[in-house]
Amino acid sequence: MLNYIARRIGIGLLMLIALSVLVFMLLRLAPGDAIDAYINPAAPLSMDELAALRARLGLDQPLPVQYFGWLRAAISGDFGFSTQRAGVSVLPLVLERIGPTVLLMGTGMLIAIVLGIAAGIISAVRRNSVTDVALSVTSSIGISSPAFLTALLGLYFFSVQLRWAPSGGMLTPGAPFSIADLLSHLILPAFLLSIGHAALIMRYMRSSLLEVLNQDYVRTARAKGVREFWVIIKHATRNALLPVVTLIGSTIGIAVGGAIFLESVFNWPGMGLLLVNAVNTRDYPVIMCATLIVGACVIAVNLLTDITYAAVDPRIQVA
Amino acid sequence: MHIRTITRALAIGGLLLGATALTTPAFAQDVKTITGGFDVGPGGFPKNFNPLAATGGFTWLNTYFEPLVIYNAELNAIEGDLATDYTVSDDMLTYTFNLAEETWHDGEAFTSADVKFTLDLIRDAASGSVFTGRLGKIANVETPDDRTVVVTLSEADGGLLSVLAQVMILPEHALASIAPESIATSTWWSTTPIGTGPFKFTKYVTDQYVELAADEDYRRGAPKVDRLINRYFENPAAAVAALRAGEIQFTYVEPEDAATFAGNDGFTVIEGDSYVVNYIGFNQKVDLWKDVRVRQAFMYAIDRAAIVESLYGGAAKLANCGYVAPHLVPEGLNDYAYDPEKAKALLDEAGWADINGDKPITWLTYYGSPQATNVMAAVQAMLAQVGVNVVPRVVDVPTYNGTVYQENNPDWNEFSLIYAGLQNGPNPAGINVGLNKSQLPPAGANIMRIEFDDLSAAFDAAIGETDASQVDARWQDVCKVMNEELPWATMWVANRYGVASANLVDFVWTPAPAGGPYAAHPELWDIK
Repeated sequence: MLNYIARRIGIGLLMLIALSVLVFMLLRLAPGDAIDAYINPAAPLSMDELAALRARLGLDQPLPVQYFGWLRAAISGDFGFSTQRAGVSVLPLVLERIGPTVLLMGTGMLIAIVLGIAAGIISAVRRNSVTDVALSVTSSIGISSPAFLTALLGLYFFSVQLRWAPSGGMLTPGAPFSIADLLSHLILPAFLLSIGHAALIMRYMRSSLLEVLNQDYVRTARAKGVREFWVIIKHATRNALLPVVTLIGSTIGIAVGGAIFLESVFNWPGMGLLLVNAVNTRDYPVIMCATLIVGACVIAVNLLTDITYAAVDPRIQVA
Repeated sequence: MHIRTITRALAIGGLLLGATALTTPAFAQDVKTITGGFDVGPGGFPKNFNPLAATGGFTWLNTYFEPLVIYNAELNAIEGDLATDYTVSDDMLTYTFNLAEETWHDGEAFTSADVKFTLDLIRDAASGSVFTGRLGKIANVETPDDRTVVVTLSEADGGLLSVLAQVMILPEHALASIAPESIATSTWWSTTPIGTGPFKFTKYVTDQYVELAADEDYRRGAPKVDRLINRYFENPAAAVAALRAGEIQFTYVEPEDAATFAGNDGFTVIEGDSYVVNYIGFNQKVDLWKDVRVRQAFMYAIDRAAIVESLYGGAAKLANCGYVAPHLVPEGLNDYAYDPEKAKALLDEAGWADINGDKPITWLTYYGSPQATNVMAAVQAMLAQVGVNVVPRVVDVPTYNGTVYQENNPDWNEFSLIYAGLQNGPNPAGINVGLNKSQLPPAGANIMRIEFDDLSAAFDAAIGETDASQVDARWQDVCKVMNEELPWATMWVANRYGVASANLVDFVWTPAPAGGPYAAHPELWDIK
């Protein structure tokens, strides 16, 4: 097991270096740089002035010099300064955004898992009932609703019309910190983020549980007189969870994508908003650092999923 | 039974979670606070705290920093700010400023040494200031006493006061220890800046908001509200949502959003001149546009009046040269009224069929709003009717700038035509940078590579005019040449909008280019 983990970590590091080369090259291939983003077209600067600004950021150096300079500094933990924010180091800037993103994603996924699994169990146990049909239709709508639609509709109805939740941000500007304030800002984007995932988890849970409920050992458990609740929870659900755990692991990456969009809509100060903003302003150091951290997280989560998979089902061995 | 129990537990959990959302964050509202999206829209420059590097955002910067002189709120005259008054010598080479009695936010006295420090810092290219070139004609800055500054120019510059209106005066005692080459990357700007304005910087929550507190010792009287908060938004639509939700009291809005606030008693719609002329630029490095008849054909082919009426709701002024201010526009200009037959005739005379025919021509723009998309579609259709096939290409600002500012072997056809805007006021000299041949890259930003001798001479005469009574006449000359030679197909100057809560009192905002600054007097702003 330890060898397997070490090998996966080694492969992960190589993937991160490859990712950094790829992102660096793609950024430089895209037209416009940090200085081009800086110019207001209605009040332009001269090329001489722009050249001086570029020289200050080292953007006038050849690409290999720029990349290896960045890599050398990055290995020592120095990811440079944000080109958009004077004097702000990139690494602390990116790291402080992980917490809000994890909070949003984690809460969203938690809501999705709870709702999805519960609805999946109910749907499977009550299959072909009105409840089952209603839940299946709801999940179909949830799966087929694009994130941009649910986010904007949710913002419009719950924030603008009903004023049940703030329209954006993580805390009320100028207000002292409070958990209630944080939760009031969190609940809407987290719920909207969870919709699609909850629907997907529900569908998987339902079909997986239906399959398990027809297995011999479930029939045996019932024949032994085990109460139906425990048959479902202890015998059937645990086994039915296997494909759902895989699904949850593989949807973390998709959740990152969803979080990026939701963070933009709700001005949530997470990695997504930071990245979108950095791309819009060609803030290369922030894009590189954030991409690597997101990449590292995805690699780590996939590894953890594999390990969890093995832990949940002792029959599975890693080598 | 147990399934029902689980369902019930989940429902209760959900309700509890939902109830949390309904809980309005309870915090003491014992301080009067105005929260706004002051950096939303084209005049804003969110997350920039360094006024030396600012190409926008002056509405907000001016709440805690101040310039020597400033435009009035109508943007038609320059008045004193940190300078109580000023005089200009007859040859327009010497400017004398008398300074107000004021203290910095840390209690130190503001003196002429601070003004000299700021101007000298800007003139040092190492500071990375965007004003270095624009203040290039300053030969010397002298401080005869603590309250007097004398600025001497090497040659007359009719735009000097306009530039100085954007130069925020900085504290020498706080910044002198920072080397000029480090000033642009100093964290001082976003952590402990001090100015002389009515509000003091207190807090910046990275990428979220900036908070200021009232300066009770402000020379014009203590501000009426205790705090000002500037919230950052990713786009105007998000700010509008926050405004409607009652979370902020002011923001810039897009024209289509402004219309939705009309007749709503809870809000005040503020409308004003954008001071940005929209134009179709002809790249003079591309042979298609050498013949003035082709450029004239564009003007006649486009029904500008219909576009202004239908797509701008009448909220734009037709531009027959680079600006529309009545005192700068002479009588007798060609108004290029819509006449597609004349456009076709001009194209035929110019031999358009041989020059290009119906081959597609890329029409580059950075304008991505729905309104701009509709405008470009309308223009595309109108030009197609006279046999000109333009294909709009909408890109983001960095891509646009990266394309038009290419230094090495640019592909001119990538921006054969552009749809863009250029600041034309309050000082009309703003358009010189895009039209004068002295501004050809790399020296300037004449990105369409226009080299019209008559036009350049007219600009030089207007900018160098030392007789104040003749300045308007010189700018009328520029307008006349533009109207005849059509370096651009000038379209219109549109209005821009802000929306303020009806709870705000004595709130002043105008959609000034780059956010001004202008005499908004934030110390008088109040909230009911």
